[in-house]
Amino acid sequence: MMAIRELKVCLLGDTGVGKSSIVCRFVQDHFDHNISPTIGASFMTKTVPCGSELHKFLIWDTAGQERFHSLAPMYYRGSAAAVIVYDITKQDSFHTLKKWVKELKEHGPENIVMAIAGNKCDLSDIREVPLKDAKEYAESIGAIVVETSAKNAINIEELFQGISRQIPPLDPHENENNGAIKLGKQTMQASRRCC
Amino acid sequence: MSAWTMGTRSLDKRGSFFKLIDTIVSEIGELKQEMVQTDVSLENGLEPTEAHSMVRHKDGGYSEENDVKTCPRYSGYDSLSNRLSILDRLLHTHPIWLQLTLSEEEAAEVLQSQPPGIFLVRKSTKMQKKVISLRLPCEFGAPLKEFAIKESTYTFSLEGSGISFADLFRLIAFYCISRDVLPFTLKLPYAISTAKTEAQLEELAQLGLNFWSSPADNKPPNPPPPHRPLSSDGVCPASRQLCLINGVHSIKTRTPSELECSQTNGALCFINPLFLKVHSQDLSGGLKRPCTRTPNANGTERPRSPPPRPPPPAINSLHTSPQLSRTETPASMPETVNHNKHGNIALLGTKPTPIPPPRLKKQASFLEAEGGAKTLTGNRPCRGREQEPEQEPGTAGSPGGAPPAEAQGDCTSAEPASSESRPPWHGGRQRLSDMSISTSSSDSLEFDRSMPLFGYEADTNSSLEDYEGESDQETMAPPIKSKKKRNSSFVLPKLVKSQLRKMSGVFSSFMTPEKRMVRRIAELSRDKCTYFGCLVQDYVSFLQENKECHVSSTDMLQTIRQFMTQVKNYLSQSSELDPPIESLIPEDQIDVVLEKAMHKCILKPLKGHVEAMLKDFHVADGSWKQLKENLQLVRQRNPQELGVFAPTPDFVDVEKIKVKFMTMQKMYSPEKKVMLLLRVCKLIYTVMENNSGRMYGADDFLPVLTYVIAQCDMLELDTEIEYMMELLDPSLLHGEGGYYLTSAYGALSLIKNFQEEQAARLLSSETRDTLRQWHKRRTTNRTIPSVDDFQNYLRVAFQEVNSGCTGKTLLVRPYVTTEDVCQLCAEKFKVGDPEEYSLFLFVDETWQQLAEDTYPQKIKAELHSRPQPHIFHFVYKRIKNDPYGIIFQNGEEDLTTS
Repeated sequence: MMAIRELKVCLLGDTGVGKSSIVCRFVQDHFDHNISPTIGASFMTKTVPCGSELHKFLIWDTAGQERFHSLAPMYYRGSAAAVIVYDITKQDSFHTLKKWVKELKEHGPENIVMAIAGNKCDLSDIREVPLKDAKEYAESIGAIVVETSAKNAINIEELFQGISRQIPPLDPHENENNGAIKLGKQTMQASRRCC
Repeated sequence: MSAWTMGTRSLDKRGSFFKLIDTIVSEIGELKQEMVQTDVSLENGLEPTEAHSMVRHKDGGYSEENDVKTCPRYSGYDSLSNRLSILDRLLHTHPIWLQLTLSEEEAAEVLQSQPPGIFLVRKSTKMQKKVISLRLPCEFGAPLKEFAIKESTYTFSLEGSGISFADLFRLIAFYCISRDVLPFTLKLPYAISTAKTEAQLEELAQLGLNFWSSPADNKPPNPPPPHRPLSSDGVCPASRQLCLINGVHSIKTRTPSELECSQTNGALCFINPLFLKVHSQDLSGGLKRPCTRTPNANGTERPRSPPPRPPPPAINSLHTSPQLSRTETPASMPETVNHNKHGNIALLGTKPTPIPPPRLKKQASFLEAEGGAKTLTGNRPCRGREQEPEQEPGTAGSPGGAPPAEAQGDCTSAEPASSESRPPWHGGRQRLSDMSISTSSSDSLEFDRSMPLFGYEADTNSSLEDYEGESDQETMAPPIKSKKKRNSSFVLPKLVKSQLRKMSGVFSSFMTPEKRMVRRIAELSRDKCTYFGCLVQDYVSFLQENKECHVSSTDMLQTIRQFMTQVKNYLSQSSELDPPIESLIPEDQIDVVLEKAMHKCILKPLKGHVEAMLKDFHVADGSWKQLKENLQLVRQRNPQELGVFAPTPDFVDVEKIKVKFMTMQKMYSPEKKVMLLLRVCKLIYTVMENNSGRMYGADDFLPVLTYVIAQCDMLELDTEIEYMMELLDPSLLHGEGGYYLTSAYGALSLIKNFQEEQAARLLSSETRDTLRQWHKRRTTNRTIPSVDDFQNYLRVAFQEVNSGCTGKTLLVRPYVTTEDVCQLCAEKFKVGDPEEYSLFLFVDETWQQLAEDTYPQKIKAELHSRPQPHIFHFVYKRIKNDPYGIIFQNGEEDLTTS
């Protein structure tokens, strides 16, 4: 029996960069039908093994429009990680990303793991944001960076694996109590045993 | 076995509805037979007579009497003679054998001096599990062995066994009767198994751990039963005997007549602990009376019972008749028959006197409840039909000792009375009652039904809980009345209904472990004799009487949340809960159950007060009015203006959603409210997706949610959301419920601030980069002086239908007139027909064309000097397109395109 650890992950980025497409791809590929699906794509969960633990990502999507910006703190509050998405074909979306990083640094949870995803890498012929720029920037802020394509399922798993690796393992003392939930329910046997 | 079959027969009459159950029953019966056979083979013939239990009960009180008379045979151990069931004995004496904190060494020390079969339950620090520490006979080599107890979400079971139990007491009771995976059955200390009254048991229980070293722990004068490890069946020697008997008789199929006495006893061995309770109930009936003849009523159902009182009544008739019979002559009860069966095991609760006041003593109440449940068993099915499962237990409880007659009486009649008298008890009793329900129902069938429970518990629980939750809150009080009415009248149709209710009752019974605990805690919270009750009652009345002790709605709700959390901690550590929660609820569910209990005992009484206070706060701080006004504004917008680009719910869907929100308002539990919110969101998704298969993320969902909330036009939603946000169990805030709660909160705050946002949004055209940047500088960097704030500069936006917006900073001295500025603009923006253009001021959502002789810099200075910062823009644009000209349209475009 492995302990399940729930990790809240928030998704930030301009509208139209493919935030929810990334999550849908991540959650629906290798979909485990035993896990009850969520009611919609704004909030999705997926459990992946990581070392001796199971990480259950609770993925909070945010609305990227400017007018919803003021609501963002409610969404990233308490997050273990943030996935900040930009569109490699839109320079503007990369600017927005930097703005999010800045806000997270100032107001976000301490020690939040930041992962930068340059989505739509299948459209690299009309790319506006060089990978080099993204890498340099990510390095400067200590973030994970990867170019993804939700459409072609490129690097989606890797993105979340990268986050899993950056999550510090649980303190063994905490492990027993709150953080973890026991997995699996005992299956009942209909028949009894004879003596 | 025969009993089972009997029941099935009767069921058949009733119709196909019960055939399924019959099938299950018969399967169970087969299983039992197998078990019995094995058991028999294991044991050498004990006397059949001793196998008193099952048969007797079935037969009715009469059988019991016989038993009692014969009791001497049973040897002191026989619980039957005392009419206290094993379960009763276990419940009363848990301070003796339930020693969760005991170490392995200490347990070994205690058990060392005990005969084989004696046990303790403790928590193993090594395994982090509860274990049964069992004293072994010398043949086994080691003096004791530990058997781990496995706890799943809903059940307790022994490692390696497929049999699960709703709580620890049932588990132990079962293993007192059947060894299953153990080398032999568990045995109660002599003093406990021979105690004749509850008072004696209480006395023993007071000794706690000291019991083991006290003289009270006397050994049987002559260890009557040779401790044979192999005897699986017999909890007590008597039970073993029963098994033997069975073996002798060959248990396979029995005619009703066979069921009697000895054979029935054998059947008991097979029966699960669930049945034990039933038996105990029956026994209680017997206690009052010799109860020998009660079986008659049952007899109607089951031919076997010798003293059949009433002719074979239909099921319905049975119900009614039982009441009469009981009240008049307690001895003869139809139910008793069933009870008797059960009773064998449990021995009568012996609560001859109806114990009306449930709350006086915890233990007493709990026990009573059980007793009630026993009596009720017959009734329960009825209850289930009439009301929701939750209430049922209560009814059972009330009848408790005294009025088995009531219980036996019509289900309907009995139920109401019980429910009325002791609603609180239900919680504690429920499980027992549940057990009883299955058994108690006049038909053996019900028993059968109960059997499958093991497997299904979880499912039924979940579904039922939902049901209950909602109904619970509203119906709790009123149902009682209705029940009474029902009681008075006996009508065949009702009988039919009762059948159906029985079914539901069966399922409800399964639910009980958790509910029982919740009720128990709620009951305790109303008992000011307990520390916990004082704590809760004092807090509730303090809040209600001191309306001014909180400075804000958030402050109030957070204080309540904190209180609930603290009380939960207290409860999980205190010993006020009796029996301890660990014995009833698997460990990973304890917090969940406590949380539910907190809702029930704290939020339920406070709901009205909290709602009124929330509204007061919101009215006082103006947010109520703000929301009201803005809600009207937002409602007038079409979806596109709100940024919605997905299908939206139509009128009918909005009405459905409103109904859900109204239901939400009636709930006191934040978790149930959140469940309803999720249903609303699910419905919205369904509409959005519209079978397109497209998945919508937050970019699309949040605007639609905002639109829907505005369409619902319910100001109360604001307080609802706040209630949930602050009171929901913090551990749920990161999950799906927390997410949609956050989104709903966000949507409401967007609505509240709609006006302010409107101004900004109009100019923040994301499709027109220039204009957007210009706007951003204005808004985002408002506090930083920018070049256009300086006196001699003026930032002017140029709006063109075709080319969009551009902005330029112009040199404009303070006394330059608008006319001059227009000329300058025409030059700078290269306008060919300047007469068509003019300079406008956009401020506070309105456009003002500036007269030629005004001074833009003075206007700017005046705007800057206002106490509150105003967002304003100077825009050079075509006059024709005024007031809601190009710019406004563009603004709308922005919305649509964003």
